[in-house]
Amino acid sequence: MTDVMTTDPLTSDALPPASAVDAKVSIKNLDFYYGESRALKDVNLKLEANRVTAFIGPSGCGKSTLLRVLNRMYDLYPGQRATGQVLLDGKNILDPGVDLNLLRARVGMVFQKPTPFPMTIYENIAFGVRLYEKISKSEMDGRVEAALKGAALWGEVKDKLDASGLSLSGGQQQRLCIARTVAIRPEVILFDEPCSALDPISTAKIEELIDELKSRYTIAIVTHNMQQAARVSDRTAFMYLGELIEFDDTPRMFTSPAQQRTQDYITGRFG
Amino acid sequence: MNALYASRRRRDFSIRVLCYAATALGLIWLALILFSLFSNGVAGLSWDVFTKMTPPPGTTDGGLANAIFGSVAMTSLGVAIGAPLGMLAGVYLAEYGRYEKLSDVVRFINDILLSAPSIIIGLFVYMAVVKPTGGFSGYAGALALAVIVVPVVVRTTEDMLLLVPNTLREAASALGLPRSLVIKRIALRAARAGVITGVLLATARVAGETAPLLFTSLSNQFWSVNMGKAMANLPVTINAFVQSPYETWRQLAWTGALLITLAVLTLNIVARVLGAERTQK
Repeated sequence: MTDVMTTDPLTSDALPPASAVDAKVSIKNLDFYYGESRALKDVNLKLEANRVTAFIGPSGCGKSTLLRVLNRMYDLYPGQRATGQVLLDGKNILDPGVDLNLLRARVGMVFQKPTPFPMTIYENIAFGVRLYEKISKSEMDGRVEAALKGAALWGEVKDKLDASGLSLSGGQQQRLCIARTVAIRPEVILFDEPCSALDPISTAKIEELIDELKSRYTIAIVTHNMQQAARVSDRTAFMYLGELIEFDDTPRMFTSPAQQRTQDYITGRFG
Repeated sequence: MNALYASRRRRDFSIRVLCYAATALGLIWLALILFSLFSNGVAGLSWDVFTKMTPPPGTTDGGLANAIFGSVAMTSLGVAIGAPLGMLAGVYLAEYGRYEKLSDVVRFINDILLSAPSIIIGLFVYMAVVKPTGGFSGYAGALALAVIVVPVVVRTTEDMLLLVPNTLREAASALGLPRSLVIKRIALRAARAGVITGVLLATARVAGETAPLLFTSLSNQFWSVNMGKAMANLPVTINAFVQSPYETWRQLAWTGALLITLAVLTLNIVARVLGAERTQK
């Protein structure tokens, strides 16, 4: 470890180089098609456990598409397909035999727009847990409380667990969605622009939360906000027109990127 | 003020007058219908209407008890058969079959069925059920009403489910919910008020149908709870009594018409209230 710490001031938070670690998720030669149009072009990338990986790039660059491959959300729609390999703990999740429901239980997702279910706050969380476990009422109460605490929402809703999830503010709704995702104990959590519909205070809370969550989960986040990527992530991937242009430690990406296009994007020259 | 602006103002004014006039014209007829229904129908309202049977030929004294019961029974059974079928088909169109070619065909046929003259549906059930089973029956009447209910419910169920944003389905799928649960617990739950509204509107629609019952349940001047036999009902009774020479029979027809209208009005109000709750959320 010591040699890593001393060699480069840009990786002063003691991250080992990306190539040297075991990956939770390895993406290999991934192509993605919406019908005939190719949205991802030969993407190769690794997501490490207990790290936050941010995806940045202009609209339409394929970053959300990439995220939606990781839990095969695209399978809901006809005409969308992925080729290549996405290994989750060494198993290719693009194999036709993969059980999508079990995969999605392991790879949770939080969306751009908060999407509480039309039921109570308590039920929003208990609902997902009940799919996978048969537990007693008191145990469930504990799980709901732990999930809400984990999403920094408990204090605000503990007296109105029977209120509709839709009655919460946007930021609270988004934290409820995070609580719901965490409650079923996934291994990977995908965040698809989780703060783009939120005010700065709610955004700060979600970012804090992501920072706490990374001790337990592998996290990938798509964001349009480059400051956010710089704040919350350990690694950053820059994508452009369906290609992965550059992938490196976040501090290096934002100070001395190797590629001119990355430099242009992060300095606001295009995108 | 220049001439162009002035002429635009005049055009605006005249179009506004036309719109008001058209609205008023439509409402006047509705008001006249309701007024004549109330003024003619209320006079005949008494307990006898609900307790006595329809008068047999030659007599003048009677009520509508058997017809009211028959209407409620056949409408209920018709909705009980038609609504679940319609909901399931609506779920297919909006969920499982949303991207299938077959759905376009089914939707097209459903739209035709939606606007099919109800007398044709009555004739169809007459040929398909009444003739083979050898007689008019309450079941045949309920079946004819069910055929009318199905397309209405298919349409509203599909429309309401299509209003549920896809993000909600994705969020549910992202938790690992199988498709059937995404539909049952999330999509249908979000669309619940709208779907119920659709069923109520379909009920209101068939409550006053005459033509399909004329060929299927016909009528019956006695009290009968046996749906296997010909059954009295309000629309056919109204149809028969309104042409009769007896003053009291015509009065019963007016009263029956008022009862149907009140029932339909109530269903519509309930549907509106439920619909309003949905949009408030």
